[in-house]
Amino acid sequence: MLTSITEILNLLKKYGKVEKIHKDTYVVEISPGKVRELCEILHWKLNGHFSVTVGSDERPVNGYFGVYHVFLLDKQKLSVIVHVKVNPVTLKIPSITPIIPGANWHEREAHDFFGIFFEEHPNLERLILPYDWPEGIHPLRKDVNVRELRYKLLKKETGLVVEKKAEEEYIVPIGPYHPALHEPEYFELYVEGEKIVDARYKGFHVHRGIEKVAEERLTINQVPFIAERICGICGYTHNVAYCQAVENAARIDVPLRAKYIRSILLEIERVHSHLLWFGVLFHLLGFDTGFMMTWLVREKIMDLAEILTGNRKNYGMNLVGGVRRDINEEKIKLSLETLDYVEYKLRKILDKMLKLKEITSRTKEIGLLSREEARKLSVVGPVARASGISTDVRRYHPYAAYSELEFKVPVYDAGDVYSRALVRYDEIFESISMLKQLLKNIPKGDLTAENVKVPEYRKGLGLTEAPRGENVHLVITGRENKVYRWRPRAPSYNNVPSTLVMLKGEKLADAPAIIASIDPCFSCTDHVVVIDVRTNVKQVLRLKEIARGK
Amino acid sequence: MCGLLCKLAAWARKKSPWIFHLPAGGLCNGCDIEIVAALTPRYDVERFGILLAPSPKHADILVVAGQVTKHTKERLLRVYQQVPEPKAVVAVGSCAISGNVFGTENYPLAGTVDQFIPVDVYVPGCPPKPEAIILGIVEAIKKLEGETRKS
Repeated sequence: MLTSITEILNLLKKYGKVEKIHKDTYVVEISPGKVRELCEILHWKLNGHFSVTVGSDERPVNGYFGVYHVFLLDKQKLSVIVHVKVNPVTLKIPSITPIIPGANWHEREAHDFFGIFFEEHPNLERLILPYDWPEGIHPLRKDVNVRELRYKLLKKETGLVVEKKAEEEYIVPIGPYHPALHEPEYFELYVEGEKIVDARYKGFHVHRGIEKVAEERLTINQVPFIAERICGICGYTHNVAYCQAVENAARIDVPLRAKYIRSILLEIERVHSHLLWFGVLFHLLGFDTGFMMTWLVREKIMDLAEILTGNRKNYGMNLVGGVRRDINEEKIKLSLETLDYVEYKLRKILDKMLKLKEITSRTKEIGLLSREEARKLSVVGPVARASGISTDVRRYHPYAAYSELEFKVPVYDAGDVYSRALVRYDEIFESISMLKQLLKNIPKGDLTAENVKVPEYRKGLGLTEAPRGENVHLVITGRENKVYRWRPRAPSYNNVPSTLVMLKGEKLADAPAIIASIDPCFSCTDHVVVIDVRTNVKQVLRLKEIARGK
Repeated sequence: MCGLLCKLAAWARKKSPWIFHLPAGGLCNGCDIEIVAALTPRYDVERFGILLAPSPKHADILVVAGQVTKHTKERLLRVYQQVPEPKAVVAVGSCAISGNVFGTENYPLAGTVDQFIPVDVYVPGCPPKPEAIILGIVEAIKKLEGETRKS
């Protein structure tokens, strides 16, 4: 097995031209014929993991479309980006999904947005765009303008047709519960009595076309605002990942104090997000006391965020090259006091709750995801760590101030809902300990780098460990202070497909807890279609209603 | 003229308005979690009788967060029609009001909430604090009261 970095670089050089874009990150440009072979080596033989596939329209620059497969090699602390140029006439390259099933969605997305065909892909259907979207319009291509597109679509009335189609496909639900709502994640469960035999998923109702807006209208320093609004729960981590990607591309050195402040806020965000998750889990298990108590403690963390940044959510603290606001001694003292209180309270509350029979009997050995399946689907974050895979961007690809901290990466082998809860439980206390280290050791210095200049057409990769898992942003800088291509990949993108594996063979009543266990954005509002295999009657329910036993 | 039963209903509506929370699609969940935070012990709106209704048919106040996407347009209208009269609509957050950084012209988006349904109270902020959301709901209650008096 290859271990050292030079050996891997020699191997990459055999396949194509290797270019170092920034620290520990290499782009290897290869011909389409060799993609599968190299991806197989990177994912399976070198024990790295597939992270994201990015499509890009580079016709104005070099006359080709580009596809980038990003792999993270945790052991070697390397990131390898496999770049394939796609012929703009044939638009065909081999798919890597047959080797790495986790690439399924990523390739379908590139097919939607750029019209690139992935040969031998098992299911190259539309993923994000609606099924009746006009053929041949690919919104992220550079020759597509937002305004013209809107005009074209208005004529066709795309939105309305989708609705009618949906009604034909799904029988109108029975009962007083109204189904037609927010559907960020829409699951169809096929049941036989109480047992789930199959599950399907249709999502992307919240697709807002963020990438198009960022590439067409916003300047480099405006993008952090929209990046923060990708997710209202873990937005800051997207913000940091984007800024890091641009800083890496432009080789900007961020002052240490700014790095510390970023880490502090990232950890505060993690604690609040995990507490939110515990609340949701308890609520879905019908344990509302737990929900209320964890959210009460969470308010202390929200206050802390407000004291440090001025807002409870969407902090707006980052600039490319540093942070906007400083933290003074008084705030540090107050933060440390709050953290002591939160730690004391949480130990008391969560220790008791995780031992309750009502909780353990509904989470242990439920929603199993084996290590092999987890590797195949390339899951990330707490879901991977609960299935015995030790992966953590903070440890293996250190960013911000994490290389200076002492912390543990909790790993459990059981792969059930309970171990996912345990991973998050451990992480909360690790985060609190990290926060204390950060607040005590924060160095003096500047907040922003001087001379922030961003050169044209440079690539940068920004990695952060979001509360839900690794978060990857690939940025190609453009002309006139804009980004040419920006692809943020949120952790749930890799994790959601794994719920379909977890759900099979489980009881219907456990479905809410299983779906919530991967921490998809906010499961309370999700919908599930229940289909009885025997009678073939379809019923649409909200997760909450299943939790109530409806 | 308002009979006894109607007066009782108006009193009950004022003392315990039920809200239906509708995330309209183009949003980041920030407003949603702040609405949920308003229900938890620190703010505890339940002591005022404000309750999250499971269905729009049981609700008095519709709380909409986020701007409307093409996927959710029809559904928003359908949900609005299902809320019984008298009803009030509270638009929470900048996305619902103006589209925020996402703009209103991008391909998956249909527009702001008030382009599709009448909005009574706007709660600005990104996301607004739970206190602001509670104030918005109180304003909506006033509107409900006014309407019952008129009728």
